[in-house]
Amino acid sequence: MTAAKTTPAVDELEALVGWRFPGGTYTVEPWRVWLTNDVIGAPQRTDGIAHPMFCYYAAMAGLGISIDEMFTLCGASADDGPMFGECDVQQLRPLEVGAAYTVRGEITSAVRKEGARTGVFDIVAFQLEVVAPDDQVSSVVSNSFIFPRRPS
Amino acid sequence: MSPSPEPAVGDELPRMVIERVDAEKMKTMAALLADSNPIHWDVDAVRALGMGDAPVNQGPNNLGYVMNMLGDWAGGVERIRHIRVRFLDNVFAGDRLEAGGTVTAVGDDGAVECDVWLARDGTHAVLAGTATLDGQPHVVDAGHRPDH
Repeated sequence: MTAAKTTPAVDELEALVGWRFPGGTYTVEPWRVWLTNDVIGAPQRTDGIAHPMFCYYAAMAGLGISIDEMFTLCGASADDGPMFGECDVQQLRPLEVGAAYTVRGEITSAVRKEGARTGVFDIVAFQLEVVAPDDQVSSVVSNSFIFPRRPS
Repeated sequence: MSPSPEPAVGDELPRMVIERVDAEKMKTMAALLADSNPIHWDVDAVRALGMGDAPVNQGPNNLGYVMNMLGDWAGGVERIRHIRVRFLDNVFAGDRLEAGGTVTAVGDDGAVECDVWLARDGTHAVLAGTATLDGQPHVVDAGHRPDH
């Protein structure tokens, strides 16, 4: 795991907004589809349509950086106990098994909050587009991570 | 399963039950996602973090269950146009889950909006959100549905 960094100042946190991910590509491999369907209990289909969870998987795999690198970018590490906040998936058209998709996106918000029970935490949200070989956007995925900011 | 011919506001979506979340499938998903977090396969790591005595399910798996519930009702998961959820609590190996929802709006184009949820033992919410389903059904191959 990546070493934890010092908690960023609020202005450093807010400066993350607009940061664009390097992006990348993701191929919906048939073996991944079979195993994923088996894990989540979805039917094994024969019509070439991938489960909408692949919108999410494609987006995350095509970030162009690892999740640990993303945590580092946000001044955190896996050891800090980051959590999923929200997950928003728009399936504009189903992903196709065997097709290769391009992923692009950026950080869309970064805010610091404080809760009576949870203490100080940051919420960093990002949006990713999953683009089909014909350059049409097949899916838009928006996620957020919650980073607890415990006193050091 | 197909949706009722004319979904109406207040309709309850048929619940989908996962009798027992399988730790072995978490291992498969960890490998598929190259997820290095040991809480998904190493009980000692879970205990060391004070999180309990069983592996923690990957959050996306929980979203996948809700998508399956919607697909069962709507005639295919490809009819899910939009889903937005919050992860409220962890799911552990051995948990019994129920996924369900309620119709909140029906558009002129037949699009159906729903509140959706996933709950441990049908009562403790671990995921909640909203979804929009396309009005036009697709013809799909029901295929094989593995047991959990």
